[in-house]
Amino acid sequence: MLETLLASEVTGDLLVLFHRNPGLIDTLDSVARRIGRTGNSIEEDVRGLVNLGILKTRRIGRSEVLLLDRARDREVLDAIAKHLKNLEGVEKIDNTKF
Amino acid sequence: MLHGGFMEGDAVMVAGSAGCGKTTLALQYLVNGVKLGEPGVYVTFEEMPDQIYRDAKNLGWDLRKLEEENKFRIVCTSPNLLLESEGESLLDESLRDIQPRRIVVDSLSHLAMFVKESELRREAYRLIMHLKTKGISSLLVWESPQMTGGSFAVTEVGLSFLVDCIVALKPVEIESSMRKALVVLKMRGSDHDKRLREFEITPTGIKIESAFTNYEGVITGSPRRVASEKFMDLFRGAAEKRK
Repeated sequence: MLETLLASEVTGDLLVLFHRNPGLIDTLDSVARRIGRTGNSIEEDVRGLVNLGILKTRRIGRSEVLLLDRARDREVLDAIAKHLKNLEGVEKIDNTKF
Repeated sequence: MLHGGFMEGDAVMVAGSAGCGKTTLALQYLVNGVKLGEPGVYVTFEEMPDQIYRDAKNLGWDLRKLEEENKFRIVCTSPNLLLESEGESLLDESLRDIQPRRIVVDSLSHLAMFVKESELRREAYRLIMHLKTKGISSLLVWESPQMTGGSFAVTEVGLSFLVDCIVALKPVEIESSMRKALVVLKMRGSDHDKRLREFEITPTGIKIESAFTNYEGVITGSPRRVASEKFMDLFRGAAEKRK
């Protein structure tokens, strides 16, 4: 999962956007505009985040909108925190070695 | 000023030019609602929620905490999505999750970018009635740059007739300093203070001050002291000279 999240700058920008603005509910093009990009350029990254369950899609009238799955977002943050803690642990062990 | 506050289920319009405190007033309306046990939803089209969280925190309102407690929601979206009439409504999830009693739409002016001028009144009416049907009180923000000039009109598309109450905010220049004025222009079914009052944005929100009783023409953008005050100044000046 972390590999996907860290794979591209766009994915990072999208994660930060939705995490800081959990109430964002918008179309692909409008979400893209909010990070200064175009719909086409973020489509693949959005698909990746939808597959991971971090973003959800919903149909509002004739439009498909993207929104954050708040519960999944918390899980992902916990996983990242755990991963970083483990890295810290590894670093500490390494420090004692040298 | 409102003799007991806005009435339940009413649609209120807060109109004013940029930077005069519309968003602060709207947030304060929701935060006060939460204190009274009425959850609230803030719909924003332009300003991002993280900016709103930050600005609100400076006024002592922790909106993230209220969200965690399911008492408050910020929905950031595009105006055309709010107007979608087919299938599930954009607000349905928030309405289910926190069952709000108050809602703010910041701003209704943005709808004008997505619907023809001739249809704006009808679409705004549909939105207001959708919320009223659900028993939700609404506060609709309207950006009105024309209020800074000599003329005075709240909206040019007749939206004033759709709402139950209109509060106008206006920056005014008096004796070379910029001050903020607030007036209740309309309130259906209830008496209200008709005077133009000064207000300040303090570290805890908007604070209403005294009325601009010594000035006339404040709302039209040409404030001048009322005659009696001018005479009083003359007398005071003469009395000082005698001393």
